[in-house]
Amino acid sequence: MMFTLPPPAVSAGLLALVAALLLRAVHPARPGAFAPLSLLASIAALAPLAWTVAAPQAVSPLRAVLLAALAIALLARDMKDSLQTEVALKLTWVLGAAFALSWAGDSLLTLAAGTAVPQEQWSALSLSLDPYALWSAALLLTLLAGLVLLGGAPFHFWPADVLHGTRVWMAPLIVAALQAAGASWLLQRLASLEGFAAGTRVTGGLLSLAAVLALVGGAFTLIASRRPERRVGGLASLQGALVLVAFSAEPVRSPFASIGPYSLSAWAAHLALALTGAAALARFLPTQSAESDAPPVLARKHPWSAGAAAYALLSLAGAPGTPGMLLWLEVARRLAATRHPGLLLALLLAWLVAVGVAVSETRRLFGAPSEKPAPEATVPRPARFALWAAAGGLLALLFVWSMGA
Amino acid sequence: MSSATEVLGLARTEPRARLVGGICAGLGVTLLLLPGLLWAAIGVELLALAFWLWARALPDRAEQMPRWAWLRRPAMALWLAAALALVLPPPPGMQGLATVLQMPQWVAPASASERDPLALLRTLQSLAVLWAGLELLAALPLSRPYPDLTGPLPVVGPWLTAMLPGTGFLVLWRQSAAWTSGPLVSEIAAATLLLAAALAVLRAYSRRSLIASLRWLAVFDSALAAMLLAVNAVTGEVAALLWLAAAGGRLTALAAELRGSAARRGPELTFLWRLAGWTASASLAWPLLLTVGFGRARFHSVEFVLLAAPIFLAARLSLSRVVEVRERRTADRPDPLSALSRAGAIATLLLGPLALLVGWWRGLEGSFPGVIVAMVPALLAWWRRAPRTTGLGEVLRAPVAAGATARDFALNAFRAVTAFETRLSAALAALVRALGAPARDLHSGDAQEYLLFLVGVSVLALLLPLLR
Repeated sequence: MMFTLPPPAVSAGLLALVAALLLRAVHPARPGAFAPLSLLASIAALAPLAWTVAAPQAVSPLRAVLLAALAIALLARDMKDSLQTEVALKLTWVLGAAFALSWAGDSLLTLAAGTAVPQEQWSALSLSLDPYALWSAALLLTLLAGLVLLGGAPFHFWPADVLHGTRVWMAPLIVAALQAAGASWLLQRLASLEGFAAGTRVTGGLLSLAAVLALVGGAFTLIASRRPERRVGGLASLQGALVLVAFSAEPVRSPFASIGPYSLSAWAAHLALALTGAAALARFLPTQSAESDAPPVLARKHPWSAGAAAYALLSLAGAPGTPGMLLWLEVARRLAATRHPGLLLALLLAWLVAVGVAVSETRRLFGAPSEKPAPEATVPRPARFALWAAAGGLLALLFVWSMGA
Repeated sequence: MSSATEVLGLARTEPRARLVGGICAGLGVTLLLLPGLLWAAIGVELLALAFWLWARALPDRAEQMPRWAWLRRPAMALWLAAALALVLPPPPGMQGLATVLQMPQWVAPASASERDPLALLRTLQSLAVLWAGLELLAALPLSRPYPDLTGPLPVVGPWLTAMLPGTGFLVLWRQSAAWTSGPLVSEIAAATLLLAAALAVLRAYSRRSLIASLRWLAVFDSALAAMLLAVNAVTGEVAALLWLAAAGGRLTALAAELRGSAARRGPELTFLWRLAGWTASASLAWPLLLTVGFGRARFHSVEFVLLAAPIFLAARLSLSRVVEVRERRTADRPDPLSALSRAGAIATLLLGPLALLVGWWRGLEGSFPGVIVAMVPALLAWWRRAPRTTGLGEVLRAPVAAGATARDFALNAFRAVTAFETRLSAALAALVRALGAPARDLHSGDAQEYLLFLVGVSVLALLLPLLR
């Protein structure tokens, strides 16, 4: 597929990669003969993920499978880390089954249409020569892998699991890349569907149902989550839901495409940067604390860096004044223009919950002044630079998008 | 750590928190004066931030921070309304500013082609603005008790909580176009404000101290002023002037009271404040009673009585609660606070009638005998009944003899309503928690459960088309 990469998305992808490597630098390399090659290995592993974030349109179904395999391999590499290997196992089960079911659906669709090329399939099916039950079930199954990869509820467990159980330097890129692959999967499956009215109706209904479930389920989960990492995972799941909502408003159009810069690349770039800052921030927040408790070390020793991290978290939630809000507004405008009041209502309620949770986490981050002396330990400089890189990238995106709009 | 770093968000010391919070609050209130939902949302958000900054710097922060956390709710409601205003296109057949001036078709559209599918969301926008204003006004159950509390700024704590209802009125006044156009929203607002006004005046009556009474009377005046907007009795500017006279007068009196009872020094100043409070309160109530009681060319007795009773009580409190303080100083010294207090009282005294004059100039008028009858509840407050020793039946005298007084009745009525509201809110919250419990279970399973779930979804995808 030929396409041109928007420079902001490439820059954001690179920035996300740099931030991930900075966070990687905080963890000491394992001793051994290959220790000097550790950085190169990290770059080699993370570069495809960053590339996916910068250019999600280029992710074919086969590349999506390879990407998932790479993510699982990264997670399963350290077998002594039980939490991380458990996440790898969960991803293997779920993504493996989702790909298999989608492959089965694809085969059924090929059987029904007599061709494996999606654009030709719709023309053949529009002749109504095949039973409705066959092609509609096949069509829904082909979309399943995309829905699972996007991580919207009820498949919202995996972004939270990855962000909770995986090392902070790789988790944001893995989640963002897999979600971007999911969006691309749906985009490619739905390409040229406008010529097949019955198919558009079926997918429109399914996507609307999936979007409402993703928004409502995601919002409830966000309220019910107890750990900050899982809350960030819940916010990532709502970003997946946002794409689903955009698709269900107009299944045959690319999400965020109504205004130039708001393409799928822009969404993925924003997701990667915001997740990097928010995931790093979540590691500093205590699991159980009240707003009136003393702030964690990040806010006590480096309040400006804490502010940068909080900005990333707020942008992930779509709080006003952040690039994330522009994405939510863009989808909401599309829903209003296409007259989807129910979906718009669900979107607004999910947004309110997301912003409320993000503000509450920010207040917990800054806590209340403490009479006790601040701890001796400081936050390593590379980690702070990573937070600044994420926040700087988000501010740049806000500037570019505002200018473009 | 640099001083700039300190100012960023960690206003560690109390004076600094006071300063940063004060700037946020001042800016927030200023933004509330601007038209536009976005400014209102930012304004209330800044106000919530100010309270958070003040509360977190206090020694009893563990109590203060949760106490004022509710201020984020009106901010969120306004964000919701602002987002809807940005997103929703004009209703069918409407363009530009007219969109907020015409009632959307909600009950019976003329035809299918004229039906507005986004009418529900337009109503939601109106309700969100109304929610924000009412909650700041202490007119909703969840925020009802706050005027009894002292604010998180020790120096001006009692004054701070008296200021909040004013911000609620500012939201409702400046954003009136966004909420008065919604179907049924004005009626909901009027009913809620009537209840809030009645409860506020009962609470003001049940509290013995002037400071507490003035705080609740500020709630009462703000509720009445907002009701002027809800029933469209006067224009927004006139309602604001009447509110400034009544609630502004209470706030000035409260500030004077907090500075050495400067509103009650000497018989002349005390009488001046009584007269000013009564005049402002009566000026605010008169157009409201006129519209509610005598609107649409007939007398609405039930509505009139329901509104006249709290108005009478408030007018009575304006006269009876301002009692001259005993002077303990032997030498008479010039007191600048006394001069300021006198100026405030005179301004309060003049502003109410002036607002009515402006209203009359802009078309406020009433029919006879409505214009006279609407003044009766406030005028009755001047009537002092001589204490009666005979003629009261034994049955009626028994509760008084047992210690039950009218003040006890007011207190119990207020507590009964707030207790009912609290239980209702708790029940609703428990219901939502129960409904949301499965979300947590779905989020924390093992790998096999996820696989089974995925297979189940796939089977459903296969079966659903067959059931068509």
